[in-house]
Amino acid sequence: MFNKLMLSMVPDWAVEQKEFWEAIRRRNLWFIKMRYAMVVMLSIFLFITTFIFKINYSETQLIAGVIIIASILSYNVILHRLRKYVQFDVTRFNPLYLSLLQIILDLVTLLLLVYYTGGIESPLYMLFVFLVIIGSLILPGTLVYTISAVFVLLFVLLTVLEHYQFIAHHPINGLVNFSLYNNPYYAGAFLFTFAFMIFLSVYLANGMARQLYKREKDLVDSMKKLNTAEKEKQKYIMGIVHEIKTPIVAVASYIDIILQKFLGPIDETIEEKLVRAKNRTDEGVQMINDVLNVSKLTLYDQFDEEEIDIDEIVSGVVKRRKISADAHLIKLNLFDARDKKEKIKGDKFLLDIAFSNLIGNSIKYGVDGGSVEVTINSDSSNLTIEVCDDGVGIPENELPKIFKDFYRAANVKKIIAEGSGLGLSVVKRIVERHSGTIKAESPSRMAKKDYPGTCFTIELPFRRKEKDEALVEFKANS
Amino acid sequence: MALIAVIDDDNDILDASSLVLTAKGYEVITADNPDDGYKIVKEKKPDLIILDVMMNEPDDGFFLAQKFRKEKFEIPIIMYTSVSKALGLEFAAGEMVPVDEFIEKPISPDTLIDKVEKLLKLHYKE
Repeated sequence: MFNKLMLSMVPDWAVEQKEFWEAIRRRNLWFIKMRYAMVVMLSIFLFITTFIFKINYSETQLIAGVIIIASILSYNVILHRLRKYVQFDVTRFNPLYLSLLQIILDLVTLLLLVYYTGGIESPLYMLFVFLVIIGSLILPGTLVYTISAVFVLLFVLLTVLEHYQFIAHHPINGLVNFSLYNNPYYAGAFLFTFAFMIFLSVYLANGMARQLYKREKDLVDSMKKLNTAEKEKQKYIMGIVHEIKTPIVAVASYIDIILQKFLGPIDETIEEKLVRAKNRTDEGVQMINDVLNVSKLTLYDQFDEEEIDIDEIVSGVVKRRKISADAHLIKLNLFDARDKKEKIKGDKFLLDIAFSNLIGNSIKYGVDGGSVEVTINSDSSNLTIEVCDDGVGIPENELPKIFKDFYRAANVKKIIAEGSGLGLSVVKRIVERHSGTIKAESPSRMAKKDYPGTCFTIELPFRRKEKDEALVEFKANS
Repeated sequence: MALIAVIDDDNDILDASSLVLTAKGYEVITADNPDDGYKIVKEKKPDLIILDVMMNEPDDGFFLAQKFRKEKFEIPIIMYTSVSKALGLEFAAGEMVPVDEFIEKPISPDTLIDKVEKLLKLHYKE
């Protein structure tokens, strides 16, 4: 019931938005840090006023002061700890509840502090304004108005009780040497102004916060529209590319049939030309598959997560690529330098594409008689896969650009005219999907005269960052 | 020798597949749309069906395969795919689609013959 009330006050779009919850979470932490500062300031205030300004606090005031400061510190430590266990679960104790709890605790302690420093004579009452402004920035408007109303009434009640001497008055002797609390006109005027100030502050701060949220919502909406447009475009591309693939695969199938002599023996010259024709159509198909893979990555945010043996994937790719390596007389070797074989979480299919691309590139841009080395290694937090060759390498000034879509290095274009320039950008996207990093070095550690070679190093973390996990958790819960 | 039905809307793929299969001694019947495909399977009861995933509509092949299974045709099915992997429908045979094998286009004659032989052997051991 209460939960429903809380939720009804959060804007609809925000409930599903991780940005909204992240913002609340951050503000909570900021709130907690501010409170530590407050504890220090109050302690200094008490110290200075007692020992330097020689304000004559009563014993009750001093004890109350110390107890209040100590309790602020202790509940703040508890809140600080608690914050870590609060999840983005809208149906349970979420960051919004933590904010509410903090505001209520602060208002109660402030009320006590004001009471022990003279009630309406206390200069500390101004801190109420500060608190309700913070509250307005975090909590739904109706809730802040309700809380403010309750505390204004409590303050009025406190003043009335002091006035009729139902409870003791604790003036700060030496600061205010005359009493105001027993002057009903002053008390009335003070409380009226106080209430007015509080509600005006809530009104203004809440209005601003709401506007800010609205802007944020507009921004989120535009982002969504952009994403939809991008996806529409990708679907269109996939449709066209598929249409292009259809005739090419028919051609490739025919060439295969002829080459494998299903139609009878063929002339050697014709065969040689047909082999070249086949290579070109294969390249076409490969390029089309690259484009389709990029579209898939953009179009489907799906990511199959499973426990993976990396050597299973890499050795599979090496085995498949061995044929083309042999054709170029390139030695393709796999080394597993790990002490302990730990599994990693990820998408088997995507990782296969990534390694297939990298190893394929090393062979394609290698030189006859050269070698390609694939090394798997790991430390306590990362799995490292290195693909090194002694091929043509990448010019230094082009290294930063190689992971961009459709980019092909100048020296590579000269050697092999074809290639979509999509391979490495796909690899990078896949690695980033796994929270990993990829870097390229040229010359590589296998550099030879005239052939600098290239080393690609992929690092995949065994455990993804806390933030990613929190998001996954959030998605699962909401 | 076994009778194989090939159903694909691309006549060149039909032709190429027939060439390879007949060269290996199989008898081949073809259809270039799902309706005719259904008809030839029902009438001729082939030993194996080869089916393209996408015909006029993107999922025609899936639906036809499902229709065969619903009507208790136990004939082994090989599915030709073209963008299956790219589309993220990386299916393990039998999981999402009631078929026995997949062949990714372009079709390599060796793979085709290999898979056809294996499936026929598996299904008709006796």
